[in-house]
Amino acid sequence: MKKKIIVLGSGPIRIGQGIEFDYCSVHCVWAIREAGHEAIIINNNPETVSTDFDTSDRLYFEPLTAEDVLNIIEREDPIEGVVVQFGGQTAINLARSLDDAGVRILGSSADSIDLAEDRHQFEALLRKLDIPKPEGRAVTTAEAAVTVANEIGYPCLVRPSYVLGGRAMEIVYTEDELVNYMTYAVDVSPKAPILVDRYIVGRELEVDCISDGVTCLLPGIMEHIERAGVHSGDSMAVYPPQNVSEITKQKVVDYAVRIAKEMKVVGLMNIQFVCDGDEPYVIEVNPRSSRTVPYLSKITGIPMVKVATRCIMGEALADMGFPEGLYPEQKNPAVKAPVFSFQKLVGVDNALGPEMKSTGEVLGQDVTYPGALYKAMVGAGLRLPITGTVLFTVANSDKEEALPIAREFAAMGYALQATSGTAAYFASNDLHVETVAKITESEDNLVTRIHSGQVGLVINTLSKDKRIEEEGQLIRRATVERSVPCMTSLDTAAALLLALKARAEGTFGVMTVDEYLTTK
Amino acid sequence: MPRRLDLKKVMVIGSGPIVIGQAAEFDYAGAQACRALREEGISVVLVNSNPATIMTDVEMADRVYIEPLTPEFLEQIIARERPQGLVPTLGGQTGLNLASKLSELGILEKYDVELLGTPLSTIQKAEDREQFRALMREIGEPVPESWIIDSDATLAELSVQDNLPWPLIVRPAYTLGGSGGGIAYTIPELLEIGGRGLRLSPVSQVMIERCLVGWKEIEYEVMRDANDTCITICNMENFDPMGVHTGDSIVVAPSQTLSDKEYQMLRTASLKIIRALGIEGGCNVQLALDPDTYAYYIIEVNPRVSRSSALASKATGYPIARVAAKIAIGLHLDEIENKVTGRTLACFEPALDYCVVKIPRWPFDKFKSADRRITTQMKATGEVMALDRSFESGLMKALRSLEIGVLGLGYRHAAAWSDEHLDHLITVATDERIFAIAEAMRRGRSIDTIHAASYIDEWFLKKIKNLVDMELWLTGVNDGFVQRLAEAKHLGFPDRVIAALAGVRLDDVVLARKGMGIKPSYKIVDTCAAEFEAQTPYFYSSQDTEDELLRD
Repeated sequence: MKKKIIVLGSGPIRIGQGIEFDYCSVHCVWAIREAGHEAIIINNNPETVSTDFDTSDRLYFEPLTAEDVLNIIEREDPIEGVVVQFGGQTAINLARSLDDAGVRILGSSADSIDLAEDRHQFEALLRKLDIPKPEGRAVTTAEAAVTVANEIGYPCLVRPSYVLGGRAMEIVYTEDELVNYMTYAVDVSPKAPILVDRYIVGRELEVDCISDGVTCLLPGIMEHIERAGVHSGDSMAVYPPQNVSEITKQKVVDYAVRIAKEMKVVGLMNIQFVCDGDEPYVIEVNPRSSRTVPYLSKITGIPMVKVATRCIMGEALADMGFPEGLYPEQKNPAVKAPVFSFQKLVGVDNALGPEMKSTGEVLGQDVTYPGALYKAMVGAGLRLPITGTVLFTVANSDKEEALPIAREFAAMGYALQATSGTAAYFASNDLHVETVAKITESEDNLVTRIHSGQVGLVINTLSKDKRIEEEGQLIRRATVERSVPCMTSLDTAAALLLALKARAEGTFGVMTVDEYLTTK
Repeated sequence: MPRRLDLKKVMVIGSGPIVIGQAAEFDYAGAQACRALREEGISVVLVNSNPATIMTDVEMADRVYIEPLTPEFLEQIIARERPQGLVPTLGGQTGLNLASKLSELGILEKYDVELLGTPLSTIQKAEDREQFRALMREIGEPVPESWIIDSDATLAELSVQDNLPWPLIVRPAYTLGGSGGGIAYTIPELLEIGGRGLRLSPVSQVMIERCLVGWKEIEYEVMRDANDTCITICNMENFDPMGVHTGDSIVVAPSQTLSDKEYQMLRTASLKIIRALGIEGGCNVQLALDPDTYAYYIIEVNPRVSRSSALASKATGYPIARVAAKIAIGLHLDEIENKVTGRTLACFEPALDYCVVKIPRWPFDKFKSADRRITTQMKATGEVMALDRSFESGLMKALRSLEIGVLGLGYRHAAAWSDEHLDHLITVATDERIFAIAEAMRRGRSIDTIHAASYIDEWFLKKIKNLVDMELWLTGVNDGFVQRLAEAKHLGFPDRVIAALAGVRLDDVVLARKGMGIKPSYKIVDTCAAEFEAQTPYFYSSQDTEDELLRD
């Protein structure tokens, strides 16, 4: 008789848990069936491929709660086990209840899952392995939070444990902000502690690894284009990394391999790092498939879910021909860009931050990095201004960094406009710039200019000043209403410049996914 | 007619990134279509910019392109691949708009690419309000009074016209999920919503229409082939009356509150429309029905696979996208096998012996500052579906599938709502309305009162009342819960909710339940209400005696 394996799906599509997890569930089911076993899927989302009646051997259209799942397990008894690592947080959250009920979890165990999500256990593990993470601690009161913040220094990254998609995650710069946050955050999750970490303003890297418990394979390292502070689901990312030193890569691989082994990961694991210079610090570990798995599979040519599922079913990576460590990098770059639905949601600020806001993503593939950037941005639906006016309104702390970006836009023939502070700074650095009135200053102000279609691009960074920010939100909302691209991170703006320059220099070709893998 | 043998290579355009109004349903449809085409020996060229999709897997198509979905890039792919045909109706509004654009720019003609399935002229007839209204008038199907507005000046002119049928609904043309629309009760509101709609519409056009608030909203999924054979896949009824986007409405299938006469009347209208339009493939017809008379209006027609067709496919077991792809390459409904039964054909109309409940999943848990009102502009990012033998238990299953911290109609904020706020939540639809209805019933509001404020059909409200009555009975009964445990399970109450209400431990409920031998049986979704033997492996649970899951 065939072995029966149950795969838990990921439920409804929401921000933070999208179609990627359905992709992973489907591939897991296919790999199980290919290995000659019977795959049973449980899911409740009618929009998906996983709930197509010929995807699995059996489909249960049921809620994903412990009671509903256990009833099915009882009905299907005897089963080989349940796979929980492909259905996002929905499936992972059921691991503990199923394990307690005596159900076998295939792949990384419920204990491994708990280990990654329990702050204290996880910190102890990193200390034991001598792997750095940003300084910080878990706290349960506002007073304790202030003490920790004073020790490690501001700014701090604060967030509740057990959250998805960075919900309620914030960067705080002062004690007041921290205390405010603690009052608000405790309401979010009354029992779970709050994490207060040093905020490292560096380059973020992300890896997905596959482990069979003995060997750990890293199909690739992805580099985020926006620096830390923007949620990984909302940042653009490039593979292979463009600005990462060999030494950093080696460290990332070394840390990932050792964490996978210590945590006894079998299957997939996602790790995010933030770099302070060449030194990567671990900021998050998820012992499950992540939203980057589908696109990383496509651009590295490694069918990651299939390989991971075979590990889960007991095969060794070595027997499948995969070495330990980082898989050789592909030559052609691929850029992932987030896609937002702000036009549908009145009252939501379109500024990027630690809370995820995007609903989807696109991939740009090309033979050059700027080409891939351009395709990702065009694919994401940004109306890239080929000529016209770029409007700057940036926080004081960002003016110096905005200057070279403004200079390049000017050199490419764009007209510059800016609000008084930014304009004065640019002008004092010999840039020709038109000063535009703020909302309160004139009828002809930056918002009316955006509305009347005179602005092709807005670069607006967030100010810590609440009064300025009120205006910032109105500016950003106007860009949504007029479908004018609005960059709230100077990193995205710099990437856009690269893309526009490439666009000005020539056109881009097309190739199939396979051709990008084989064309050198 | 067998499939067209002249077609060797066909291009399929996906729907691009997931945005509100266009989610995973097009990956499902596209993947199914790719398989259906390849089954017939056709080589498939697939283009989509979204890498997180099954359809962009190298196994799904012969040539897979992850490139931006713009006419420039698509032209390059067409020039390179030289497909003979293009199926425009599988990639949502994005795919459809691109196909129209490629045709307009002469690219299809230049490379001799034929649009397969529903002709472009038909798509335009269904999508262009004026053409659509003219056609409806021609075939005698009623459409609500409406005006096409293309500038702020004409908007201002209209707003002061006498005898306007207030309130008016504003729908911008060619936008996803009706973006930028809304209901205007006054002249200033009309100017505001209409102005925003004009800016958001890519063709700067809005339609202003008689608002049918309070009418029932009913949908029919229908299919037609080139031989003019037409069938109904299923009909669906919106729990929320007209005024709420169907993507933001709780939906049941099949309809639960229609008389046979109403059902047949709307079915006949839907079939008449798909014939008049000449659609070859699937089509979604949305209708408004006056609950008190037999009056109805045709609201909208989607001449393509859609979110509703994905829901209808899962609700019935009938693979609409697969069949639509087969029709596009020349097959007729009576030549396509129904894979679920393995013995009936695709021309066989599905029958349902269960109730399907869909609830949207909104992003308001993440976006606390967002306007939570649900109107004609869709806000949900996803949805859940549940099947069961009754509406009550289907609703309970769907609620606990949402993962918003609820296991039923209990809602942690509800007790703190003031009476005034509660009234507001029932009158003005938000994601919280279903919980507000239950809370109002707990506070003794009558079904009539709630109906008068929300226009939600009394049948649905009575069913919710059954759940609330059980909830109230269970509250604080302690060990007494066992008396009505079977009944509570039948209504769809999870063990955890029963334990919490009764004031006992979860284990007490589980043990009692097991001791009494109460466990779900599993029913099959066979598309034919057991009229034929089914081979489908598609199941749902029910607290019913007969188990239809055969042991190996």
